[in-house]
Amino acid sequence: MLLLVSKRLKDMAQKADVQQGTLALMVLKTLEVLGSLHGYGIARRIEQISGDSLSVNQGTLYPLLLKLEQEGSIDSDWGASENNRRARYYRLTKAGRRQLQSEVQDWRQTTEIISRFLTVKTEDLS
Amino acid sequence: MRVLRRLAKRGWNFVARRSDELRLREEAEEHIALATEANMRAGMAPEQARRRAVMQFGSMEAVRESYHAEKGLPVMEQLLQNFLFALRMMRKSPGFTILAALTLALGIGATATVFSLIQGVLLTPPPYQKPDQLVLVNSGRSDGQAMDSPRGWAAEQWLDWKKNARSLQGVAGYGWTFNFLVRNDGSQSMQGMEISKDYLHMMGLKTVAGRGFADSDFGQGPVKAILLGYEFWQKTFAGDPQIIGKTVRISRWTVSPTVIGIMEPGVRFLPSPEAAKEPNYDVNATVDFWSPAEPDPKGMKEPYWNVVVRLRDGATAQSAQQELSVLTGQEAHAEKSFEGFVPRLQLVTDEMNADGKQILLPLLGASALVLLIACGNVAALLLVRGLQRQQEYAIRIAMGMGRVALLRQVLMESLLLAAIGGAFGVGLAFGAIRLFKLISGHAIPRLDAVSAGWAVLGWGVAAAVLAAFVAGIAPAFRVLRLDPMDVLKSAGPKGSAGVGERRLLRGVAMLQTSLTLALLVGAGLLIRTMIKIAEAPSGYTTGHILTMSVTDVQDYSTWAQFHRHALERVAAIPGVQYAAFAWGVPLTGNNWPATLEIEGQPPAVKESDKTALPLRAVTPDYFKLMGIPLMDGRAFRETDDKNAAAVAIVNTAFAERFFPHGDVIGKKFWFGGRDKLATEIVGEIANGRTDDLTQQASPEIYLPLWQATAFSKHLVVRTAADPRAVVASVEHELRTVDPTAAVENVKTLDQIRDDSLASRIFAMRLLVGFSVVGSVLTLVGIYGVLSLSLASRRRELAIRSAIGAQRQHMRQLIFGEGLQMIGGGVLIGIVLAIVLSQVLKSFLYQVQPGDPITLAVVGALFVGVGLLACWAPARRAERVDPIEALRSE
Repeated sequence: MLLLVSKRLKDMAQKADVQQGTLALMVLKTLEVLGSLHGYGIARRIEQISGDSLSVNQGTLYPLLLKLEQEGSIDSDWGASENNRRARYYRLTKAGRRQLQSEVQDWRQTTEIISRFLTVKTEDLS
Repeated sequence: MRVLRRLAKRGWNFVARRSDELRLREEAEEHIALATEANMRAGMAPEQARRRAVMQFGSMEAVRESYHAEKGLPVMEQLLQNFLFALRMMRKSPGFTILAALTLALGIGATATVFSLIQGVLLTPPPYQKPDQLVLVNSGRSDGQAMDSPRGWAAEQWLDWKKNARSLQGVAGYGWTFNFLVRNDGSQSMQGMEISKDYLHMMGLKTVAGRGFADSDFGQGPVKAILLGYEFWQKTFAGDPQIIGKTVRISRWTVSPTVIGIMEPGVRFLPSPEAAKEPNYDVNATVDFWSPAEPDPKGMKEPYWNVVVRLRDGATAQSAQQELSVLTGQEAHAEKSFEGFVPRLQLVTDEMNADGKQILLPLLGASALVLLIACGNVAALLLVRGLQRQQEYAIRIAMGMGRVALLRQVLMESLLLAAIGGAFGVGLAFGAIRLFKLISGHAIPRLDAVSAGWAVLGWGVAAAVLAAFVAGIAPAFRVLRLDPMDVLKSAGPKGSAGVGERRLLRGVAMLQTSLTLALLVGAGLLIRTMIKIAEAPSGYTTGHILTMSVTDVQDYSTWAQFHRHALERVAAIPGVQYAAFAWGVPLTGNNWPATLEIEGQPPAVKESDKTALPLRAVTPDYFKLMGIPLMDGRAFRETDDKNAAAVAIVNTAFAERFFPHGDVIGKKFWFGGRDKLATEIVGEIANGRTDDLTQQASPEIYLPLWQATAFSKHLVVRTAADPRAVVASVEHELRTVDPTAAVENVKTLDQIRDDSLASRIFAMRLLVGFSVVGSVLTLVGIYGVLSLSLASRRRELAIRSAIGAQRQHMRQLIFGEGLQMIGGGVLIGIVLAIVLSQVLKSFLYQVQPGDPITLAVVGALFVGVGLLACWAPARRAERVDPIEALRSE
């Protein structure tokens, strides 16, 4: 029993965990670029794009997909996967596109502000 | 918007219980399958590939949990789970559940009862508009002494206020009128208010049918229009709307008035000290009828009006008080008879609630105390159970149940207990309210407005939630601080309630003991008081005497005829020894308050200098009937009537007060002034406690009824056997003489005696009730604390037993602890009891507040009962297995 507890603690400290907010952005962007995709595909693509420095926790991904679907940003449907098995495919909705655009804009704004802070020198403030 | 949509979806999921378990499982399967293939393509063996894929996916449980958390309303589901689990635990230990639930039921029931009573009696506003602005103007003596006899205001005075007082927006006068509705099958008493022109408008009262009074209804001469009270209309005329426009016969009214409207329901009287002497005076009753009254131009200076005023918006009662005092002073300069009296203002709402507050506020305190104590007891019981379940909690925490979740579970259990207790408690409250309505009589006013309805349920629920938190706090915190490692390492139910907790609970138990002891002593003192009162010499016979109020509602010309005939016929009934009419039967409080000047006393300069004494009127056989001996002079004769000289009989107390050196026979006194006709004293009777059984006799004057013809009076009958047996015959005889005679309030003198002691009896019953409740709670409390102590000291006891302590010794250990608690409680209780008895002093009679006998008896009794509560834990103590000492570590 004690072993179980400590192993979980170790696992959780491994790769950088993705926060839910940014994960949503990544999922929506991925779906926009690649069209409809199933859960496994989304996870793999995100890891690929990040250059394998991110590990997507399935415990976070699938609940997030459900949440996005409940909010109406994505839609899901059954389809055939690569090996001819039944898989659930997700795609972006119109509302999802709009949400993506606004989130991208927010993100760009934030980045710009932060970068200004990071490049400020003593001479600029007087 | 998105959030709302999500919430709606979540709610729907929870309600519809859609289990997308299937979906998750399929997606997970699919994910793992794809990952497995990817791994195989990367070169792993199929089994290894799959295992890798599964590991990468992560714990299925965790995924499922987060998934689940997104889906339904996890909070609600968890609560439901907690609830079902708590229910199972309750069913597994029924004894504990019942004990705890009933304890809480007592506390919750008491609180719900008192809250409902307070809501109905104190918080329900009267039907007047803006009642906080209404102020009664009472009369007081300018020298600050108590008023001897009640007095109102003259029309001249309050009309002056109406014109000149700037802090008031309205002034109205009123009085009481006691009449009978004349009917051919026995008339019925009805009490009403005579009101001045502005009264209805100023108070904000409206009619529900017909019309109110118009200015044309007010004038001199007989009243032609009246309003009926709503409740009277329902009771007497069965709510028949046809009554409007019809006339009714009212006793002593020459003209039968027309009913022009029905007043809105729930309107009660305003007080009148003058009217308070009347037998049917009940200020909390609903008004039966309303009649218009206009100041008599010939009697503008007669102070018989009661006055109520409405303050202007923003004005205070103090400013009105000052203004009216000034105005009254000016009036007194102009008119001598107004001298010596000043206005004393009192808010109508204060007056209404004065009696109720006296009883209900202490009751509130007591019931709050009962609730707290009940919660304390249940907390102790829960702590004991918590100790017994420590292992279970430790395992849950170790397996990953969050502490918050465990806390929620524990609180849910106490909430469930409180809910069960609350259900019983609400039932108790319904019964208690009904009981109160039955036994409290006039001690709590306006009880008829209290209905045991949804309010009780609401208060019960509130009390239950409060109880749940208070009772569950301590065990809940224990759970939070639980360290699973410690508990699991030692394989037995070790661990103890903290020393702090136990000390607190022991303190609570001692407090309960002391409070209960104080209540028991109080109850004991009152019981002894009642016994002493029963033995007190009243000075007259109380057994075998029947009374009823008899009123002749025809006009005055038949008065003498009716009463003489009635008396003859009643006296002739077999079984009747004596019969008499009397106004002023003992313990009824009936009399005529009068001011007189007595021979030998200094002449009065002001009205307030005159001697004020109560007058009573009786027929000749009265004193023989009551068994009151004649000490000097003669009794009344049949010839002492309107044609003969005015005579009176006084008692010894009168003689000793006003004529201490010499004979009282032959002396005189005057009503209305020494220039009027005098009344001669012809007889002296022995003292009797007519006003109050607990007080010495005061000076009394009796007039012959045939001279001082009274409208309201009692027929008093003494019988050889049970007085109730002749009731039917007496009523029959009375009806034969006059069928419209009003015969009401049939009571034996014993019943009247009990009614006069009503408040003491009520207080005694209350105290007895609370003592019983307190005793039960205290027993549970002592049991709970000792059980907790036992559970905490198991190891110590096991060790003692292992090294050879006898079972007796173990028992003594627990008994010792119990005795310490009880002893401490008793000592504190004795102090509290002495304080309580000081509070009760006004109720006591011939029993000292700190009466040692009562204290000793109650104390010993309580210690005995307390030891009973220690018995069960003590038995368990002696059965502690010494093996437990060896088992752990």
